[in-house]
Amino acid sequence: MGGSKMDNAARRAIRITEITLLLSALALFIVGTISGDTFYLRLATEALIFGGLALSVDLLLGIVGLLSLGQALYFGFGAYLSAVVLKEVAPSLALSLLIVALASAALGYLASFIALRSKGVYFALITFGLAQIMAKAVYNTRELGASDGLIGVPVLQLWTPFGPLDTANPGVLFAITLFIIGALYAVLRYLLTTPMGQIWRGVQSNEHRLEFIGVDPRGPKRFAFVIAAIVAAVSGALYPVLRGFVSPELLYFAVSGNAVITVILGGVGTLIGPIVGAVLLTLFKSVVGTFTAHHHIIVGIIFVIVVINAPKGLVGFLVGRLNRKSEGAPHGHD
Amino acid sequence: MIEALQFVYAPQIINGLSIGIAVILMALGLTIIFGLLDVINMSHGEFYAAGAFVGLTLLGLGIPFWLCVAIIPLLMFPIGMATERFLIQRVFNSKDRHILTLLLTFGIAIVLEDVYKIVWGANPLRIEVPIPGATEILGVFFPNYRIFLMGFGALIIFSVWALIYKTSLGSVIRASAYDRHMTASLGIRVTRIYAITFGLGVALAALSGLLLAPIYSVFPTMGRDFILLAFTVVIVGGLGSIKGAVVAGLALTQLQALSALYISPVWSDPLVFTVMVIVLMFKPSGLYGGLKNG
Repeated sequence: MGGSKMDNAARRAIRITEITLLLSALALFIVGTISGDTFYLRLATEALIFGGLALSVDLLLGIVGLLSLGQALYFGFGAYLSAVVLKEVAPSLALSLLIVALASAALGYLASFIALRSKGVYFALITFGLAQIMAKAVYNTRELGASDGLIGVPVLQLWTPFGPLDTANPGVLFAITLFIIGALYAVLRYLLTTPMGQIWRGVQSNEHRLEFIGVDPRGPKRFAFVIAAIVAAVSGALYPVLRGFVSPELLYFAVSGNAVITVILGGVGTLIGPIVGAVLLTLFKSVVGTFTAHHHIIVGIIFVIVVINAPKGLVGFLVGRLNRKSEGAPHGHD
Repeated sequence: MIEALQFVYAPQIINGLSIGIAVILMALGLTIIFGLLDVINMSHGEFYAAGAFVGLTLLGLGIPFWLCVAIIPLLMFPIGMATERFLIQRVFNSKDRHILTLLLTFGIAIVLEDVYKIVWGANPLRIEVPIPGATEILGVFFPNYRIFLMGFGALIIFSVWALIYKTSLGSVIRASAYDRHMTASLGIRVTRIYAITFGLGVALAALSGLLLAPIYSVFPTMGRDFILLAFTVVIVGGLGSIKGAVVAGLALTQLQALSALYISPVWSDPLVFTVMVIVLMFKPSGLYGGLKNG
């Protein structure tokens, strides 16, 4: 009984957060486009891109229970591959996203055979090690621009029935990013309602018991790992479209670590939490960053407090509030 | 042939050895903390930097370097104990202990790094080399301080080994690693042993930071360069194994030093990480068993 009430509150909290986010995004889009704003639209686009990366970390950590300290590997892979496709093959966003999705699925599949041999801390360290190898390799490869990265990613023209749209327009790029990250979110949300999603949750709570009831967790874990790689890489593929360049920093531990912080602050296991976390962190860094370079200390302290006291982050806090409100009320009938 | 050995290989081997000792000092603290507490200490590199930064301030107050070598571990030991007691213990008994303690120490690392930036600035600082000059070994000159460091480092490594395997505190630590409930029921305050062990690891990290500061510069992220290698060493050697840390530490740094003769040194890090990934794939627990396995 208590469990179902909790689930209700969680579901409502997630729905409220989703609607709030979507409405704020629409408001920003309308106000931003009318007022000709560039700064906030581009900032929000960046937040969504890193939100996509955090989404992939949350799928692994919050749903399946695997802490990845190297998700920047797929994010950076997507960013570099997309930059190469846009520069060398054709300036088409759809083509680059398609290639990135397919290639990252292959990369994730291969990497899963290395990473999924281990569990717990060892999984964390092996993903960390893999990302380090990739980062160093890219950093030392002259064909990929070595430490400078790749610059000069062209502005894209998107064909629509109403005439071409230009990604140099911040409103257009924001809308595209919102659509793509929203689609990734929707796919993950859908997957959670399938039997596969149930097995993922089962892996998180007790992998051995899952085996006792005749479910082999290896396939579902591999599937989650590959999906997470695709989500991270597709988010990364949008980065060069926004910035016009890619650099090896995208593959560094700082990016993976930030994604983990984003997930924890936003609410691990909620999927919407990471997006909220990314929006708030990006905004916070940009606002506080104009006053002081030492915003890390504040983020770090909040992070430590959340890890110790509220392992479900911001969305979990909202769930708690909703629970308290409904306490004493008669139980629902689900 | 002899000349190649003398002028090409020998200097690489000796240089690799001095880096190896430094890495082992870092790895020892990590491996002891993991062996007993099951905690991956992501802030180890920042405690290493703490040794160098506090040392810098003490030197600025006119305290001689050798006195600092004694003061820093004594100063950092209670800080490490407090970190364990007041922060790590708060998530220690939860179901996701591995992940939560890893995240917690990661958060501590972020905060500490920024504290260093605020107090000491982001620019690299230097500590004067306490033993100047160089000595000729086999026709090649080596800085005296590096030679001292190898001897002193080996002494510290030996002392840690002796502490864990030859003293009563050491046997209590190993007993707690083996079965903490059993040890607790024998009347040992295991939580205190946890705090002491964490303090010990932190003191070791800070001491290595101070000792290595005269060779490398002192800056807020100075721990990162070493921590990666130290983690690799600990994983390859076996989380919680002192012997493993020493063997893997020497082997991996020699691999780096000698491979640098054949391939560009920029590939030495990927090479070492590849070794780590291969070891994790085939023997996730590393080459040797943990603290509890004698």
